[in-house]
Amino acid sequence: MTSTAAGEQATVPDRVPSGCPVIHLDASPALEVGSHWEKANELRESSPAFFNTHAQGYWVFTRYDEVREMYQHPEIFSSESITPWDPEPAYRFVPTQIDPPDHAKYRQLISRWFAPNAVARIAPQAHEIGRRLVGDLAPRGECDFVTDFAMRLPTEIFLTIIGVPHSDADLFVPWVEDFFAGFGGDLEQQQAMGAALGGIRQYWVDVLEARRGETAPRDNDFVSLLMHSTVDDAPLGDDLILDILTVLVLAGLDTTRGQLGYLFRHLAENPDDRHRLIAEPELIPSAVEESLRLYTIIFGDGRKVAQDTEFHGCPLSKGDMVYGLVSGANRDPRVYDRPDEFIVDRKSNNHLGFAGGPHRCLGAHLARMVMQVAVEEWLKVIPDFEVASEAPLMERGGGAMMTLLSLPLSWEVPA
Amino acid sequence: MKLQVSAELCRGHGRCYTVAPDLLEDDEDEGFVTIRGQIIDVPEDQVDFARNAAGSCPERAITLIE
Repeated sequence: MTSTAAGEQATVPDRVPSGCPVIHLDASPALEVGSHWEKANELRESSPAFFNTHAQGYWVFTRYDEVREMYQHPEIFSSESITPWDPEPAYRFVPTQIDPPDHAKYRQLISRWFAPNAVARIAPQAHEIGRRLVGDLAPRGECDFVTDFAMRLPTEIFLTIIGVPHSDADLFVPWVEDFFAGFGGDLEQQQAMGAALGGIRQYWVDVLEARRGETAPRDNDFVSLLMHSTVDDAPLGDDLILDILTVLVLAGLDTTRGQLGYLFRHLAENPDDRHRLIAEPELIPSAVEESLRLYTIIFGDGRKVAQDTEFHGCPLSKGDMVYGLVSGANRDPRVYDRPDEFIVDRKSNNHLGFAGGPHRCLGAHLARMVMQVAVEEWLKVIPDFEVASEAPLMERGGGAMMTLLSLPLSWEVPA
Repeated sequence: MKLQVSAELCRGHGRCYTVAPDLLEDDEDEGFVTIRGQIIDVPEDQVDFARNAAGSCPERAITLIE
């Protein structure tokens, strides 16, 4: 994490009050695991607000209350841009970047499909997928957890809930890898990123074509449902449907992979917690929740100021960008006892790992189920395992969502 | 004790009915707690669960009235 001036640096506007510290922080480079949360802790404890001269310059809020307030006030903090270093993004994610009141119309189309009931409907298939993947890996005695399991499991379960063949994960896994290699800002990966986006879009074009002209929606088929849905009495149209499907792929698969990597690194390095979950599997949901808090993959989340306002001593102007430091909020000692510890059965865990307000993560219930399936099915077959790496593990920077780049695990294979 | 869920703040995180399954339930449609916008009495044996539910809400949508 660079705190020194490098490359283009915004000047500090005159209206930044004298009491507001100025930093130059580019969180995008990959670093040793844990570095981003350490930086978030340091920032949060030195000030509730900063002005960051990174890119065009933006405000940073570091504590729980301020981050929650940002999420809960879309009339002030618009989602028109969610990347503070890019106030005018070329893309528009639906419903991610739509503000109320239109936002609810689009969100409702999708949210029922990912509600707890819908997620519970596919839980038996999800367990079956988890059992098969663990069963295939177990005899090997080692794997790169991040690529061999953590990416594969959510992808297969996602395709199942959408209603397309889970075996198409063979296509999606490399597409998502290529997309995020470029999304993090690596210029050499831009062509591969573009090709991956094209592949994902063409896949859904073909799914749409296969359903064209059908008079009624197919059962348990999300694409078919979207094709028969309307907003303001008009059909959605192919372009919007394709945008929605692409966003779900990009928002849902890499994120769950990231969270799983950190959770399994914790379990590999903390046998007491692992053994407790084997003895008391009813604690798995709360352990999953704790990993979402402590090991949040969201370094921060951006919003665009929609009206001039005074926010905790900062004079925000319309068009300014702000960055809510979610990783600071989730370890805020003003909210959590022992904030830097993993407490398997933590109570009152109100973390913001799935954001808050109207844009609360639509896939949260699905993500939780996938993570619970992963822990349950893995521990049944591979109860003891360790990190098999002498070199420090590295994590992708906080420009997009964080994830371990690699997590080599090994275990004994019974003779 | 009474428990109140703000209809404006509740966003369907689902934390409350997960940690207090004998007190609260989801609407089986969109995943909101069924008592969104309502006040209920909390039975004596559910008080700890109610506290955990209120404390687990990322929106602070749940108010406990002692």
